[in-house]
Amino acid sequence: MKHDGKQRLNLTVMALVSVYLILPLMLTFLYSLFQEWTSILPTGLTLRYYADLFADPGFYMPIVRTMIISTVPVLLCSLITLLAMYVVVVHHPRWQKIMQILCTVPYSLQGVILAISVLALYSGLPLPFSDRIAMLVCTYCVLILPYTYRGIQNSLNAINARQMIEAAQLLGCHPLAAYLRVVVPNLVSGITVSAMLSVSLLFGDFVVVNIIGGSYYSTAQMYLYKMMFRSGQQTSAMIVILFMLTLLISASVLLLQQQRQRNAQVKQEEADGIHTV
Amino acid sequence: MAYIQFEHISKRFGNNRVLTDISLTVDEGRLVTLLGPSGCGKSTLLRCLAGLETPDTGRIILDGEDITDKRPAERKVSMVFQQYSLFPNMNVYNNVAFGLRIQKMPRRQQQQRVEEMLAMVELQGKENALPRQLSGGQQQRVALARSLVTRPKVLLLDEPLSAIDAKLRKSLQQRIQQIQRQLNITCMFVTHDQDEAIFLSDIIHLMHQGVIEQSDEPIALYTNPKTSFAASFIGNYNVLNGTAFAQMVGDAMTPHDVAVRPETINLLLDAPENEPDRYVLPGEVKEFSPHGNVIRYTVRVGAQDLHADVLFRSFKLFHPGQRVYVVVEKRNCLRVN
Amino acid sequence: MTHEQHPVLAAGAPPLARRRSPARNRMYLLALVPFVALIVTYELAPLLTLIVRSFIAPKTGVFTLQNFAAVFQKKLYRDAVLNSLNLSLLSAAIGMLVAFFGAKAADEATPGRRSLFMSILNMTSNFAGVPLAFSYIILLGNAGVLILLGRQFGIGLLESYNLYSFSGLLLVYVYFQIPLGTMLLVPAFQALRPEWREAVSLLGGGPARYWFRVGLPVLLPSLLGTFSVLFSNAVAAYATAYALLGGNYSLLPIRISEQFVGDVIQKKEFGSALAVMLMVLMIGVTMLSNRLLHRPTRQGAAHEA
Repeated sequence: MKHDGKQRLNLTVMALVSVYLILPLMLTFLYSLFQEWTSILPTGLTLRYYADLFADPGFYMPIVRTMIISTVPVLLCSLITLLAMYVVVVHHPRWQKIMQILCTVPYSLQGVILAISVLALYSGLPLPFSDRIAMLVCTYCVLILPYTYRGIQNSLNAINARQMIEAAQLLGCHPLAAYLRVVVPNLVSGITVSAMLSVSLLFGDFVVVNIIGGSYYSTAQMYLYKMMFRSGQQTSAMIVILFMLTLLISASVLLLQQQRQRNAQVKQEEADGIHTV
Repeated sequence: MAYIQFEHISKRFGNNRVLTDISLTVDEGRLVTLLGPSGCGKSTLLRCLAGLETPDTGRIILDGEDITDKRPAERKVSMVFQQYSLFPNMNVYNNVAFGLRIQKMPRRQQQQRVEEMLAMVELQGKENALPRQLSGGQQQRVALARSLVTRPKVLLLDEPLSAIDAKLRKSLQQRIQQIQRQLNITCMFVTHDQDEAIFLSDIIHLMHQGVIEQSDEPIALYTNPKTSFAASFIGNYNVLNGTAFAQMVGDAMTPHDVAVRPETINLLLDAPENEPDRYVLPGEVKEFSPHGNVIRYTVRVGAQDLHADVLFRSFKLFHPGQRVYVVVEKRNCLRVN
Repeated sequence: MTHEQHPVLAAGAPPLARRRSPARNRMYLLALVPFVALIVTYELAPLLTLIVRSFIAPKTGVFTLQNFAAVFQKKLYRDAVLNSLNLSLLSAAIGMLVAFFGAKAADEATPGRRSLFMSILNMTSNFAGVPLAFSYIILLGNAGVLILLGRQFGIGLLESYNLYSFSGLLLVYVYFQIPLGTMLLVPAFQALRPEWREAVSLLGGGPARYWFRVGLPVLLPSLLGTFSVLFSNAVAAYATAYALLGGNYSLLPIRISEQFVGDVIQKKEFGSALAVMLMVLMIGVTMLSNRLLHRPTRQGAAHEA
């Protein structure tokens, strides 16, 4: 009986927290569906605000820009870190510590400081350096470095990478080939998870893009910010769409991961089919 | 001409001297063991042969060719590690076929070789399994197959069985021996387990603090240790320094240490006749502990404690505090350095 | 003993001589180039310039502490530091409190409920920055739904609520602290072993004794770690405050960015000093929590951050 009471209390706590967290989201969604909300209940159910958004040609570019700017740095950063990790894992295990420090510093810099320090350093310089888009991409790369590094390092901890590479080398593999064929496949799922986190982080970024991108590269978040001062309903509709996209990113990567596992299984079965003939 | 020659190999890690001027040779088709406590440098020596470590001095010759500066991939040497270093993302078949793929061997031939190897380690039917679905022993058999499939000149085994439980270890030892004889492949085996070394090896190189203490056939090493370290590490010998031994048996002093194997010591209740070729010494049982089919007694003789192993044949036991006579044949008291 | 002491012997037998070290191929270092380039140009160089610049006088270019002194001389910037500190400490503390009970409840709940709760946390943790600020504007802004309700029913507290104030900011900040804090604390609760509670009750202790003697001390590293993460998260938050109040409320991140972008005349040196202050606040809190942690002799109690 005491146990029951405790469970009920726990449930209440979780329910209260959940309601508190979901309420603003729900409200924004409702707000986007009604023409007016001046008394207790809203009136004039409509999808007009969504229709207006989709009809606006200016709506698509920021979304596309956001998608590009939140995926390219993630791919780039994963690639760069994986390459660097090769040197650390195979040739210089002692550099591990330095690598870890370098990769976690951006975490404690946070967006603002990183963005203004990059801007202050490069904005006054001639073109290849002061190109805002390059600046944005590179700053994003550094910003997500802690997550990328964690993702890779955690998966590395789960396997004995050094010994696997040694084994592959003795079987005739070049160390780099061994790293790519034997170690990297085991890191993919860890990297995918951290990449997913990074993409949704960059997708929702306002600080860095507002400071560095400014008017040079207007993303969905910037578009949203400008819209805030025009129409409440339209802004709500935009928020709902962006939030849905964020959820879609998380869900699609999850799906992708499951599919990859399934594919791997099928491929293996096919391969085995050949072998067991 | 020896198949493998280590010539004056030294290696330091920082200020730590791991190998000091080691020279040894291995004949083709033999299974030799590097035996020693952890940290004695045995694995490092093995890894020098594999090319995973570079010696500071000396050279290594394999099959008439100086391989000291060759990359691991070019040495035609393969290795089984202590932790199963199977590739977790590949199934058993692909793990074993890995070396052949690197050689770009035609698929048909690959398949034939892999099947052959899996049959040898009795893992047919497990081709599709992933390493994590196998037991430790099975994983190690896959690792063995993976190492042998490329027909290396030498198979290196770095404590391959120490992560496996005792019962299974015995049967894997037998399998390794059987495969080694069947393929007539040269093997270098690293272990800290003297029983394993004695069971498996043609020759044992006993290592201690970066040098080779003694190289011998197992029986010779067991019955005739040359140093006090060899005596205590291999046979759990009672090792006494010369003065202590002289005092105990009442002989003249010897400058050498003396080693006495516990199972050569007899315990008797009644005083036997004195004979010139044996020592009979009065003592007192301090404690005993059963070790499988053997009972180990600790007996106080004079100022020394001796271990005596007695086959557990009857219910007749000596009790702590009991007075006994310790009988040792003189030829079983070995002089060691 | 070694042949190094016998040069004659060594000379007679070439293989005995010290090995020439093999020409090692260092091509692999190329793999490190992109990483090093990125780190140097976009992490170390900007950070170092920022720090150096904070100690340089704008006109003369000589070393000075004037930039830091200026932060405290002007009320606008002094307020920014104090407001940021208060807002972050308070929001982190409230967030922690809710997160503690949330995580405790999640830990003790059935797996199904827990995973549902975790999904909700995960989902809402994506809801931050501009969208969050706007959502609170339509909830509690001048024409917000709750304000309207307040007017309708004559609830004075709601009717006259001002979102565009410290308490409004606090409310919004707490919102994004809760999911983060809870997600960080759930694993810590899972590390508490039921045996410990049983052991305490076998020894005659009640729940209070368990929590004060076992539960909280074990959780302490995670609690402190989470607190410093939440603090850093709040003290550097920019988007939410910017969207809610623009430049109308003095907070460090807003004031910092103003020195580098926008309408005000750029004062890079002063801005750098402000940014260094912000870093000092973050590092300070992290170090403080580490210090608290290491005071009782505990080993390996590194926090999550």
